[in-house]
Order: sequence, then structure tokens, then C-alpha cells
Amino acid sequence: MPDLFASYEHARFYDEMFAAPGKPHAHYQRLAERFGRMEGIGELLQRQRTADQTFLSRGVTFTVYSDNAGTEKIFPFDLLPRIIPAHEWKHLEAGLTQRMQALNMFLADIYGEQRIIREGILPRGMVDSSKNFRPELVGFKIPRGLFVHINGTDLIRDEAGEYRVLEDNLRTPSGVSYVLENRQVMKRVFPNLIRDYRVRPVENYTNDLLALLTYLAPEHVPEPTVVLLTPGVYNSAYFEHSFLARQMGIEIVEGSDLVVEDDKVYMRRTDGLAPVHVIYRRIDDDFLDPTVFRKDSMLGVPGLMEAYRKGNVALCNPVGTGIADDKAVYYYVQKMIKFYLGQDPILPNVETFLSADPTDLKYILANLPKLVVKSVNEAGGYGMLVGPHSTTAQIEEFRAKIIDNPRNFIAQPTIGLSRCPSVCGSTIEGRHIDLRPYILNGETIKIMPGGLTRVALKKGSLVVNSSQGGGSKDTWVLADETSAPFQSQSQSASPIVEKVLV
Amino acid sequence: MLSRVANLIFWTARYLERAENAARLLDVNAQLVLDLQSRQAADDPRSWEPLVYVCGGDELFHKLYGQEVTERTVVDFVLFNRQNPSSFLSCIAYARENARCIRDQLAGEVWEELNTFYLKLKEDDYSRYAQLGSSEYLSFLKGRIQLFYGVASSMIPRTQMWWFFELGRFMERADNTSRILDVKYYMLLPDNTSVGSALDMVQWASVLRSCSAFEAFRKSRRGQLTLERVVDYLVRDHFFPRSILFSLSEAGFALAQITAAAPHLADNAAARLIASLRDHLEKTVIKEAIADGLHEYLDDIQLRLGEIHAATQETFINYSSDTAKVLA
Repeated sequence: MPDLFASYEHARFYDEMFAAPGKPHAHYQRLAERFGRMEGIGELLQRQRTADQTFLSRGVTFTVYSDNAGTEKIFPFDLLPRIIPAHEWKHLEAGLTQRMQALNMFLADIYGEQRIIREGILPRGMVDSSKNFRPELVGFKIPRGLFVHINGTDLIRDEAGEYRVLEDNLRTPSGVSYVLENRQVMKRVFPNLIRDYRVRPVENYTNDLLALLTYLAPEHVPEPTVVLLTPGVYNSAYFEHSFLARQMGIEIVEGSDLVVEDDKVYMRRTDGLAPVHVIYRRIDDDFLDPTVFRKDSMLGVPGLMEAYRKGNVALCNPVGTGIADDKAVYYYVQKMIKFYLGQDPILPNVETFLSADPTDLKYILANLPKLVVKSVNEAGGYGMLVGPHSTTAQIEEFRAKIIDNPRNFIAQPTIGLSRCPSVCGSTIEGRHIDLRPYILNGETIKIMPGGLTRVALKKGSLVVNSSQGGGSKDTWVLADETSAPFQSQSQSASPIVEKVLV
Repeated sequence: MLSRVANLIFWTARYLERAENAARLLDVNAQLVLDLQSRQAADDPRSWEPLVYVCGGDELFHKLYGQEVTERTVVDFVLFNRQNPSSFLSCIAYARENARCIRDQLAGEVWEELNTFYLKLKEDDYSRYAQLGSSEYLSFLKGRIQLFYGVASSMIPRTQMWWFFELGRFMERADNTSRILDVKYYMLLPDNTSVGSALDMVQWASVLRSCSAFEAFRKSRRGQLTLERVVDYLVRDHFFPRSILFSLSEAGFALAQITAAAPHLADNAAARLIASLRDHLEKTVIKEAIADGLHEYLDDIQLRLGEIHAATQETFINYSSDTAKVLA
């Protein structure tokens, strides 16, 4: 047992590194030894500083909205990687692929025949009341029949170490640039360790993404022009936009760079107007086209939707996919998998209560202090209540909101997310983590081996979002089975207090 | 390339050139003050005031500092004050912000050079300047900009990206050189009787130095420093990289490169205006220009540079999409 972990507190949560106090899981053995050879925390902190400095110089930052000066911050990076053994990843891949298939079929159905509603699986009201449903697109013939192209599914591990889906992000999932940058930095800081571990590379992602985007182009265009549409440099994810554009060698454009003439999209170049065939848009549906959606939007392109309808330009992700990442619709994904694929879900959802459902609503209102309540369309950790960490006043405020608009909320038990050792100040402590793998749906479904592991760096916090003080870790998916079998539930640690059993 | 991107790289170059110019001017003034013969003269606010005029911000200066014209306030204004849009730090911040907008197009090293410089610079203030001494501190600033040019010139492909960069850089340089001359003519002399005095010579030498032109001037013109000779050199020399004529030729060359790939834009207003201004400079007899009023002559050049700027914007950046050519 290396000194660095000597005072590591092995708490009641599932621990990614330790099976029991002082006993790492087999796939963490080598890392424990490597860190054990370090000269105390000083060396680790030195490497941590090197990493932070690298991120700052390279400008790997996000913009903080609340700050008028538009301060850029680095997304804190933690040097202790999260390691996923090969067999565990195989399980995740199978589950994510299944989920992507079902979601795509759901979207095709909901913008087509609406069988799932007619057969009583999903209440019509659920669809009609969703802010992200675009009735304009019912019956629209989508390129290649692909209704969702990119999904960033948030996964967590519960107290038993079982992976569960927390939510899907089908609109504009962000964070993949940090995955790629984190790996670059890790390669500099721990080159030998990465080699010894046979970590699977993540670098193919941008190739796969470009192939997907090109695949979506109108079929008569032999060499399509692909661009990335950004809201602009003040968007919190601007770093990512420019990173991806650079990696793919495509133009990054703002709405004002594009014009629509005769239902075709062009970009304004110094020498004239050049045609555009595929737009990887990183702005929401609402802002895409002021003639169709929000009239006050300055970010979009007037006439874009008509060009899209005519098949002159492809959008990634398509318009209207947001209906499937409505957090209330999420509740039904388990049923969709059964309905469309005739299979049992490989990755279970987190137990979820719908306040739109009268029975569930009663339960939710009676148990607010124990639950996590989320509004169905917010992201980034906003608009949520973490019951056990909230004051009575906050709970009452949410109670009123829920009663006022039940459709707008769901509730989930507080899950004790798994923890992973992380550098905290000058010690190593367990911090809660989640995982966002990125799934591409093109000619085939491709999943980057790994994903963004976010870590709640604030002690005891369960909120991992960057906007809420979270950080990230490199995620290592191992190429082969050098690791012990999956930790079975019976071996996992002490009883769980925070989980609400129903 | 995208019009917006062309505009951003153009302005990046202008800001960098403007920043470098601020550092050069400050350097020259600081050295000039050291040359002043009495301690009293060195402390005289008038020794620092001209700089504020060169940077075109006297009104703003007095708003920010009142009547307190000292080395400290002027240096703070010219180098560090973010409320002065032409301060060194502001220019670097704008250049870096522009580069951030187009970093997908820039080589990583180009962006990192500017980013790390900005991050280092934004912690600095007058006390840092005073601690190191003007000469050392300013040569650090100029050095970092030269370093950026070095990285840029070895990393940026000679596509439109580069030529818009060059266009911005030389347009700004032509403008800066005309301003330096203008201010010297009106501000630096205590009164007209000093023309030709030892102090006058020291000051003309300082003007040349602020354009890093002193040695080049000596080599090329082999003569005494006189008003006419210095002005002629900085306005009309064909070989000196900071003369107005040279900068204008480079700007014209950059513009020709930009339109080489777009023949339908070859006959553009900016190119015509550049040719006409060059012609005007070639024909100028400096002695006559001075007799008619150097300030008016320089003012006219600045005006025409402004028209060239507006014409490039109209042709490549803000054109109306109704009239634009639709590319295949």
C-alpha cells in the first residue's frame, strides 16, 4: 500500500480504485504501485501544476457566463485516471448501442407514424407538451433515415457498482474536446504508464465524426462542404467548437457568415458566396432560423429551415431530436427498447418518478428531502434540487414549482455515485464521478473508447457539471484483460445511507 | 476564406502593429528624457505629454488621470490601462481575442505564442516596468511581438490568411509612421526658434529611433539630420520597412495576392486608391510639403489610408449578398 493512499478514506460508496481499504481492484494495481514510487504528494502536485499550466497555455478553457468579463477558466483536470477494464467496456458498448438504436427508432416513429403513441406505450400528451417536439417536422424525409447522429449519454455507477443511465444528451452534447485534450496531457505526464496499461486511443473520434458528417451530405454532391456553426466566441463551449473544427479541417462559422439564396445555403467568403452542404450545428433548434423559430435570435440563419426541408443542406444533429432527451421522455426509454427492439435494456435507467403521473407526484411531494428533482429541459446542473443538501426553504420553493407545473419535473432517488481517488489540495481523497461516452450514429454506430469522466471536486458534492465546480479525469479503456473480473456486488462496501429504497 | 475570418486576422495584425508602435514610442521618449540636459526638464510634464497625443488619447487621458501628467501616469496610460483602447495591453488583448475567434485556423504555436504573452502581460503594471527599467521592460515587449511575427511567418501558409495579416500590418504601420512624424512636428519642439538646435537634432534622432530607422537612415542617406531629410526618409524611402511608401507597397502587394485567386475582384477600389496614394508620395517634393504645412500633408495621407481601409472592407468583408458572385 503506497503512502499516498495511506490515509485514503474508504467510504460507503462504490470505489473505482479500491475493493477494500488498502486493496486496489486488480486493474488499478499497477497505478497504485506507480504512484507508490512517487516521492510523496509533492511530485504528484508538481505534475498537476505542469498539467494545469499546459491547459492554460493551450487555452483549453470554458467561459464563465456569470462573470461580465467573460473570464475563461480551465476545466480542472485531475491526474488520477479512471480505468475501465475491457470486459466492462464491452458491456457498456452493447448497452449504449442498443440505446442509440432505440432512440433513433423512437425519433423516426415520433416524426413518422407515431406507433408508440397509438399502441399506448407513450401518452400523446407527453409528446405534445414537450418544448423540444417540432411538429413542423412530422413526415419530413430525413437524410439516410438518421434522426440522431451524436449522443452523449451520462452514465453513473450506483452503490453496487452497477452502471446506470442518468440522462441522454442528444442535442449538442459537449465535452469531447476535453477528452482528447486530457489524453494529450496525460501522454506527456505519464507516458510509460499509458503504454504499460495498453490504453485504447481516443484520437479517432474526429475522423469518425468527419466521416459521419460527410455521410449526411445530399447524395448528389460528390465533395460536400462541411461547416461547424457556433453561437460565437462568448459561448461557454467555444473552445470545443474551434477544437473540433480544427481537428476536422472544416470552417467554423457564425450565423452571420451564412446566407440562404434560392433555398441553398452559402457562406460569405472574401471572394463571394460558397455553397455549404452539411452543418454541424452547435446551437439549439430555437436559434437556428428566426423565420421559423425564435424571431429574436441573432445567432441563426434566416431561411435555413426551408433549405433543410428541401434537402439542400444536412443538419447534425437533426432538428427535433430534443424530444428524446426531454428528461420525462427519458423515463420511457426502457420501454422503447422493449417496444422497438424486443430486447431487455442492457443498461438500466436510474429509478425515476414522473411528477406528471398522479401516483408518482404524490410520492415525490411526500419525499422531497430525499430526492433529486430536475426540470426536464435544463442542463448544466441548473434548475435542480438535491433534496438532502437543501434547506427547507429551497425544498418548499420546489414544491410550489412542481405543483404549479408537474409536466416540467422528474425526481430520482439520491444515488451515491461511485467515487474515484482524486488530488484534493495536498491529499488524495475520494470524489464522486460520472461518465459521458460519445456515440456516433452514421453508417454504423461508433463509440469512442472512453469518454468524459467528470468529477465533483467539492467535497461531498454529487454535482459534476463544469458550471458547478466540477473537473474531469482521463478515462482509460483497457485494450485487454489484464484486470480482475468485474467486482461483484456482494464484495462492495458498506451499507448505503443516501439511497432511497422504494 | 470567410469574410469574418479575414477581418479578424486583418485586425489582429493591426492591433499587434499598434501595440509594437506604442512600445517603440515609449522607449524613444524614455531615452529622450535621459538625454535632456537638466533634471528639471526630465521631470517636466511636457517631456511625457507628447506621447499621449501620439496615441491619440489626450481627452481620455485627462478623464482618467486629471492633470497629473507624469512618467507614471503616462506609462500606465500607454502600456497598461485597459480603459485606453490603444494601450499596449488593450491591443494585445484584442489581438489575442481575435486570434481566439479564429484559432481553429491558426497553427497551435501561433495561438499559444499570443496567448502566453497575454497571460503574462496582464499581471504587469507600472511597478514592474519601473523595477526592470524602461529599456529592459520595453525590449521584452517588443521582443515578444517580434517573436510572434517570427512564429507567424514560419507557420502561416501563404494563403489569404497570410495576405490579410500582411495587409493589416502594413496599413497600420503606414498610419503609425505618419502619426509619429506629425506629433514630432507639432509637439516635441519647445518653440520654433529651436529648429536646428542641438536639442532639435537629438529629437530627430529619437524620431528615427522610434521607427528603428536611425542606423538605416545614416547608411542610406549619408548625411546630417535635418527635418527635410528625416521626413523624406520616413515618408518616401523605397527600401526602409517602416517608411510610409514601403508599407503602402507591401499593402498593395498583399492585396494583389488576395485577388490573384479571385480575378473578378482584381479591379477593386482599394487597389486603385493604393496606387493613387503611392503615386502621390512618389511625386511629393518634401521641401514643398513642409512649406505648405507638414501637418496638412500628413493629415491627408491619414485620410487616404482611411479610405483604403473602408474600400477593403466594402470589397471583401461587408459586401451585399445580392451583388456577390456565387462560387461553384
